[in-house]
Amino acid sequence: MNRKEFLSDCGKMGVAGVALSLFPWLESCSEKAKQEVQGEKVRIGIIGTGSRGLFHIKHLVQMPNVEVVALCDNYRPHLEDAAQYYPKAKQYDDYRRLLENKDVKGVIIATPLYLHAPMTIAAMEAGKRVFCEKSMAFTMDEALEVYNRRKELNGVLFIGQQRLFDPKYIKAMQMIHEGAIGEVVGVRNYWYRNNDWRREVPSPELERHINWRLYSDYSRGLMTELACHQLQNGSWAMGQLPERVMGAGSLVHWKADGRDVYDTVSAIFTYPNGVNMTFESIISNKHFGMGEQILGTKGTIDLVTAMHYTDEPAPKGSGMHQLIEQIERGVMSNSVFAGTSWAAESSSLAPGKPIMQNVKVVSGESSVGAEADGSKELLEAFLHSVVTGKQPEKVLEESYYATQFALLADKAMHENQILYLDDKYKVPYVPMKMK
Amino acid sequence: MAAFRYSDKNPSHPISFFEFDAMHTRIEVLLTGLMQERGESLAQEVERRVRDMERRFNRFDMKSPLSVLNTRAVADSVEVDDELFMALELCEVFRVATRGYFSVAALSGAASAAWAQGAPYVLDGATHSVKYADEGVQLDMGGFAKGFALEQVLTLLRDSGAESALLNFGNSSVAAIGHHPYGEWWSVGVENQVRRGEMACEVHLCDSAMSVSGRAPSGEYHIVNPHTGAKVAQDEMILVEGRSPLVVEVLSTALYAAPRSERVEIVKQFDGYAAWEIVCSRSGSVERKRIE
Ligand SMILES: NC(=O)c1ccc[n+]([C@@H]2O[C@H](COP(=O)([O-])OP(=O)(O)OC[C@H]3O[C@@H](n4cnc5c(N)ncnc54)[C@H](O)[C@@H]3O)[C@@H](O)[C@H]2O)c1
Repeated sequence: MNRKEFLSDCGKMGVAGVALSLFPWLESCSEKAKQEVQGEKVRIGIIGTGSRGLFHIKHLVQMPNVEVVALCDNYRPHLEDAAQYYPKAKQYDDYRRLLENKDVKGVIIATPLYLHAPMTIAAMEAGKRVFCEKSMAFTMDEALEVYNRRKELNGVLFIGQQRLFDPKYIKAMQMIHEGAIGEVVGVRNYWYRNNDWRREVPSPELERHINWRLYSDYSRGLMTELACHQLQNGSWAMGQLPERVMGAGSLVHWKADGRDVYDTVSAIFTYPNGVNMTFESIISNKHFGMGEQILGTKGTIDLVTAMHYTDEPAPKGSGMHQLIEQIERGVMSNSVFAGTSWAAESSSLAPGKPIMQNVKVVSGESSVGAEADGSKELLEAFLHSVVTGKQPEKVLEESYYATQFALLADKAMHENQILYLDDKYKVPYVPMKMK
Repeated sequence: MAAFRYSDKNPSHPISFFEFDAMHTRIEVLLTGLMQERGESLAQEVERRVRDMERRFNRFDMKSPLSVLNTRAVADSVEVDDELFMALELCEVFRVATRGYFSVAALSGAASAAWAQGAPYVLDGATHSVKYADEGVQLDMGGFAKGFALEQVLTLLRDSGAESALLNFGNSSVAAIGHHPYGEWWSVGVENQVRRGEMACEVHLCDSAMSVSGRAPSGEYHIVNPHTGAKVAQDEMILVEGRSPLVVEVLSTALYAAPRSERVEIVKQFDGYAAWEIVCSRSGSVERKRIE
């Protein structure tokens, strides 16, 4: 199911309006919004044409209303890879030159983490509408600076937290807000892989340029590269932000290759109501893969598989009860209850129910991205905002806090302390939640 | 604990009704003509019996005799109690009679194909011991246990003098003792799979049982074809009626897993049992075809 089908489904159920009021950023995908931008070709530039940059390009080439007019990467082979898709695009090795290009209305930034903030700010200051990959920034101060600068400039800024645009997450959160699993009492996130997380390096002096995510000068490792995707799950589900975080990280297995970011991390985020959200990642065992579960008093929603499990037995037994009534009244007629086997849904072996049809489950194994994980919808929403200049409500705040809490947890691990988010980093937070 | 309810609104036919969750589903029992005390004590006995079997056949319970078999019978011949031995004998009979389409080794994964053709385990009648035929074999009694439990509960109830009762185990297995107080049988409607709440067909039970196999109400295909190890994706239901709740259950499962062309031959092996293919279409029409 793609985004369009999702919206048209909402329409058929008569809840399109509700869906839009709940998730305003969906509007950029609605039919009305599509007409708004019809005929206009969106001209954009891409900074950082490594693996994620190329991933976006592969989506962009399928979209007829987009033209990539500028490409920038300071590593020649990657720039050439991208140029194959857009041979006519201007090529740059310095992003500041690209930002001077007046043809470019929007930019997509897919560079290593430590460059996100300076590039995003420069791009907004140059009047560009910006989509920057997650995490939002390399430090907490920088994240705040980016957030404030966007506000001052009244710019458009999207962060690559694609779950916020993934139909199955949106549906799941809607169900949670409507009480499908009762009160939320726990949030579990984990991400396991079994590989060294390295990319091949053609020549030794390129090691840090290519394997930037293994070095704390450029990345905060698993917290900024993986955790940030999952850390919005708790706030999105509960409509509140964590209050404090503790954690532990270490280099357990991949320690011989000179890297200095953890390969094993666990963190616990505690919300004001006492609920915990956990995040755990290990990259030397992949058995459990990637998981995200919201636990409620009445049931569980697995966000990754889009399944709903209930803790309450389904109402049942009406057939036999009809029969009792008949005998009480001294009559006989049939009662319909037989059929294929009914499984107690509360049993731990019960299969659960898909929350929507045709869901594609993403394994989390790829470090580039997966199809049908919301990335394409996110890109579409961004392109729409490049034209309209409208910043969707509430989304940036979710991305902002996901980054802040990823960074705070990383700090807690390094300092071996329980940490609270400093007031100076708090920006207005309006939950994406239905009352 | 079983929820028990007693009604003597109709004094000539007082009703004892109880239900409880077991074997990942629910069992409901309706008895008529008993005093409340008798009804209550039967409810307790039935629950005890079913729970006992639930434990015995649970391969996920590390201490169950079945899981002991699953861990040890690959390497050694393992002695088992009478009941499990009998159950395994029965399963082997059913496997052969159903041409391998009912097999408790169906979940052995890739290896299952082999065990649909040949015996997955060897029984030694003298020592009551079991040895698995190959290291790939893992037994799962899920498709057997419900019918087996119903069989035993019926015996227990009959032995205690029950003359009129209807038992429902998870909607897919229904068994009757005697008949409805106001009719010559118990009349049970089978629900239309496509149009929920509507009746696809009606079955009359009198000292007999019925079983339905097909897609789960959630829409999932859950029955495995032992010959391939893959889930069977068929949309029709199979309905089987006959004396034994165990046989109807086994037979409906096997017929659902078997291709249409083999179903008649399988039914022929079971004397006194009738089977139907039931197809519910979206338009609301129901096609019911006897397999014979
Ligand atoms: N949202 C997702 O699911 C997802 C998935 C993968 C990666 N990402 C994010 O995308 C970003 C890029 O990751 P990647 O895997 O593509 O890394 P990558 O190393 O493959 O690509 C980064 C590119 O940036 C280029 N670059 C580095 N410094 C530059 C500079 N000063 N000017 C211009 N170009 C420069 C590099 O040469 C490289 O081509 C990261 O922030 C990462 O977290 C997001």
